[in-house]
Amino acid sequence: MIEVRGLCKRHGALDVLSDVNLSVAKGEVAAIVGPSGGGKSTLLRCMNGLEAFERGAVLLGDLELTAAAQGSTPAATLRAVRRKVGFVFQQFNLFAHMHALGNVAEAPVHVAGMSQASAEKEARELLAKVGLADKAAAYPHQLSGGQQQRVAIARALAMRPEILLLDEPTSALDPVMASEVMAVVSDLADAGQTMIVVTHQLGLVRSVADTVHVFAGGRRVEHGPTEAVFSAPAHSTTQGFLAKLRTT
Amino acid sequence: MSRADRSSNLARWALRWAVALMVVWALVALRERTARADLKPLVWAADQEGGGPYVYPSDEDPGRVVGFEVELAERFAAHLARQASFYQGQWDKLPDLLRAKKCDIVLNGYEWSAARADAMEASIPYYAYALQLLARKGGELRSWVDLSTPSSPPRKVGVLGGSAAEAYLRQRLGERVEIVSYDGTTDAMREVETGKLDATLQDTPAAAFYGTRFPLLEKVEAPVGGGFFVVYAAKGQTALVHALSEKIALMVRDGELEALYRKYGIWNDAQGRVREIAEAGTYYGLSLDTPGVAKGPLASPASAVSASARKHGLGVVAAYGWILVRSAGLTLLLSCLSFPLAVAVGLLIALGRLYGPRWVKAPLAAYVEFLRGTPVMLQLYFIFFFLPEVGINVPAFWTAIAGLAINYSAYESEIYRAGLLAVPKGQMEAALALGMSQPLALRRIIVPQAVRMVIPPVVNDFIALFKDTSVCSVVTLVELTKRFSVLSQSTQATAELMLMTAVLYLAMSYPLSLLSRRLELSFGRALS
Repeated sequence: MIEVRGLCKRHGALDVLSDVNLSVAKGEVAAIVGPSGGGKSTLLRCMNGLEAFERGAVLLGDLELTAAAQGSTPAATLRAVRRKVGFVFQQFNLFAHMHALGNVAEAPVHVAGMSQASAEKEARELLAKVGLADKAAAYPHQLSGGQQQRVAIARALAMRPEILLLDEPTSALDPVMASEVMAVVSDLADAGQTMIVVTHQLGLVRSVADTVHVFAGGRRVEHGPTEAVFSAPAHSTTQGFLAKLRTT
Repeated sequence: MSRADRSSNLARWALRWAVALMVVWALVALRERTARADLKPLVWAADQEGGGPYVYPSDEDPGRVVGFEVELAERFAAHLARQASFYQGQWDKLPDLLRAKKCDIVLNGYEWSAARADAMEASIPYYAYALQLLARKGGELRSWVDLSTPSSPPRKVGVLGGSAAEAYLRQRLGERVEIVSYDGTTDAMREVETGKLDATLQDTPAAAFYGTRFPLLEKVEAPVGGGFFVVYAAKGQTALVHALSEKIALMVRDGELEALYRKYGIWNDAQGRVREIAEAGTYYGLSLDTPGVAKGPLASPASAVSASARKHGLGVVAAYGWILVRSAGLTLLLSCLSFPLAVAVGLLIALGRLYGPRWVKAPLAAYVEFLRGTPVMLQLYFIFFFLPEVGINVPAFWTAIAGLAINYSAYESEIYRAGLLAVPKGQMEAALALGMSQPLALRRIIVPQAVRMVIPPVVNDFIALFKDTSVCSVVTLVELTKRFSVLSQSTQATAELMLMTAVLYLAMSYPLSLLSRRLELSFGRALS
């Protein structure tokens, strides 16, 4: 479904990502874990073109995000990729001047060209799905962090993305609110939504991820089925990382 | 309906209102223009500010002008089979109006001088003036000798800025007195009464006309200096000037001119020189420089047109309230038409500077710096007086709209730039991640938030612009402040007029503040 090939990304002299390969199949939920500064979020942002990269490619069906060296991706391709790839931010980034329903219906109406009425109807269904049917008229500042993140997920789902990228969706939330969001992500996984989630929540990884990809120092150091990686971590980073997470 | 919806309805309503105003004004202007084209009026420029007995606001209808030059203009126009049309300009800028083709002639106590006759076409003289020194009754200043005796601190003498009186004093007394120049004639007279000035040197017509208004002043010796008032037209308009000279000669012969001057109490023996020149049929540009040209006493007002008595209190409100309200209407129209333009242009500039291609950024930055760094008065002056020389003649009203809009667009663009930068980066990323193009993201997500954030500074600027419309008097518009100034000169009811003017400004700007606060509350709630 989505494939990252030999992706390299530099910030000045620093290699943020070095020769990263990653492939996620339809219906698969992949978790990206690893110590902070390992390039996880950057990889996710490269996958929908929010960040440019120096070498390699991201393939999505017959669409391709190319490296800056080969001439940057045309704007139209970039938009086509983004319409198929939903993105959930750590800081939610809800549109502050729109209420929840407006946030969810915005892209279907103005990007996909759906009618206002049917977009709002679907938006209400999506808000109900994330447990916020009664908050349609609430503005972002009137919602808790967990509620905002669930609206943000509904907003991403409104474009019916083939794949959903979640960038540390629970890191800015306290445990109670985090569990609300985790429940929504679990439901999505059960419904067969293809997802890649960057997270530090081991519980989330165990409950939803089919595969785990461990990143350290800008490289993928280990990957495989969740159970296999967790029960017998081969790489020292994975071992240390898992040990540290278990104790906290 | 949410508060935000209601507020955006309000904004839509305001926009519709502005468009309607613009359409109405355009229709009125169009009608006026077609009417003008039919009649081809003789447009004569003068300054009604402190212009008695030349040109000053009528007592019955302060929106109309009266004075002996008004009557002269009507006679000139009739002679040319045209309609006379008065064009208000600042006295010292009248030749600029000629050059900018805003008027046909300047007829406003303009002295003949070699320099002016070189730059413009001059008619034969229609009046021989002299200069009358006025001082406080019973004061120590009794003669020109007193005035020229050095004293410490130097004596202060008030004059009309740029007038022959100023030139005369500079030449004769130079450093021995302090010369203070005013925009209107009566300012200086009042200052002599109040004791701020020791004396004032005035044209004989003004001295005669306002004599009754300032009973505490008296004439010091006989009039001095002097010369001729002539009509000026643009260089090359020899046929027009010839026709005017012809009419002056006819009026001299028929005694019409003498009757007119007697009516305003400004006839005197010196006018014999005007007769000589008219009868000779030529004018040699002779400047009479010897004191005592205007021999003999000034004739007393015969059939009595003179400065009316000063009104007080509610009488001032009754007489001048309506004209002030009408001028306030022009102020309101100028602000309401120019500000939306300034906001729209400012927003586009801000967007261009932040998100535009590199090649537009530098020119836009230069545009903003240039307009912020130069006075709006200069910009208006450029559009109104300079552009006609390169073939672009913008009427005063549209000059004011364009000038204010352009000047304020620079300020608005900086406000919007700050507002756009204050929208968190994540908002743009979220919009792009949903597949929006950058223009769509700006339009739907970024600009609406920036606009809401900058409401308070933008309304603040609107109120500032509102009061800045007073600079439009440089392009000859008589808006509220100019009207105040004109009326205050002609009536001396300064305190009452000042209060009324201030109340009118407040009555217009305070609702704006209230509207701003309401918008701020309803939008602010959605963004906090």
